[in-house]
Amino acid sequence: MNILAELAGNFHIGLAALGAAIGVGLIGSKAAEATGRNPGAAGDIRNIAIILAALAEGIVFFAIYLAK
Amino acid sequence: MKPSSFSTLGKNHGSLAAVFVVLLGMVLAFAAPEAFASDHAGSAATGHGAAPAAHAEEHGLPTAAPKIWGGVINNSMIVTWVVALLIIWGARAAMRNAKAVPSGGQNFWEFVVEGLENFLGGILGPKLVKHMFWFFATIFIFIVATNWFGLLPGVGTIGWSSHYDPSAPHAFTHVERPLLRGGNADLNMTSAMALTFFVWWIIWALKENGPVGVVKHIFAPKGESQGFMKVFMIVIFAMVGVLELISIAFRPVSLSFRLFGNIFAGETTLESMQQLVPSLGWLIPVPFYFLELLVGLVQALVFMLLTSVFTLLICEHHEEHGEHGDEGHAH
Repeated sequence: MNILAELAGNFHIGLAALGAAIGVGLIGSKAAEATGRNPGAAGDIRNIAIILAALAEGIVFFAIYLAK
Repeated sequence: MKPSSFSTLGKNHGSLAAVFVVLLGMVLAFAAPEAFASDHAGSAATGHGAAPAAHAEEHGLPTAAPKIWGGVINNSMIVTWVVALLIIWGARAAMRNAKAVPSGGQNFWEFVVEGLENFLGGILGPKLVKHMFWFFATIFIFIVATNWFGLLPGVGTIGWSSHYDPSAPHAFTHVERPLLRGGNADLNMTSAMALTFFVWWIIWALKENGPVGVVKHIFAPKGESQGFMKVFMIVIFAMVGVLELISIAFRPVSLSFRLFGNIFAGETTLESMQQLVPSLGWLIPVPFYFLELLVGLVQALVFMLLTSVFTLLICEHHEEHGEHGDEGHAH
């Protein structure tokens, strides 16, 4: 039972990390695509991508520190 | 006009990199036996029941920064003071004999400040950047310096240990209370920065929009609509405003957790990698060191970008309505 509780206790972080990783991956792939289509906007795209990636990965830290 | 100053900068970077590689070798050489000792101490000291505690001790980095003097001053605070003094001293020393054609330290600081001003000007627009630049630039330079200072040899490896054995004074032991610890590996530091930003965000919002403007900005409906739709939109946007308030209230939390989580996890990763294969403890963390250099820069960039975008979001409304002439700047 102890082991089961431990597993359940860590699942939410794993799931949050999985979701955030998928999100950051999508952001990265679309940012690369966008830069390929319009290289002139590379700087703006990079800023947007960094901000969105930071927002996506922020979820993991909520999962680690807030959820019990 | 400035080819000579740029080549000086490049040379400086090269020598800095060389110094850093040498220092990196030193910390790895010292850290490897220490990590091995701590692995044994951790598994011996704690029983099976306290698995999380044993984990924390193995990694050698407790979530709370240990107090080292008088129960008030902790080791992360010392790092923040040292970094702040180094930045102040470095900037003052570089600008003491300011020249029209900069070189050396002056060139470096002008490069940093000018680069940040262009970058922030592109986000905030030429009007806002004039009276907000000091905050975001300070935040960025300070966070980068603190993050990279935390990677220097000796930070986290020199300090007090309860495993000290007087009969073997030169043996490497696990250090529970290191003298120095990365400043942003302490949640107090990151939340202090996030809350300071939040105070300034409120001040700037009130200054740009006025109290009524702030409330209108958050709750008032956007776009044009008539008749029944108008009432409907007012209700909808009032509800959206409540959601907006919640998201604003969570911004300092997510800002501080993001920075703390990244730096704390980075230090924990480095220590775990040293313990992964004890005999290769000097080699395996090397790629992660470069990852941490990147993370330290990116997180500082993220902190600055997010805070400036949050500020822009509350302040741009006023600009768009105030003068229709320069709509181009708002985007």
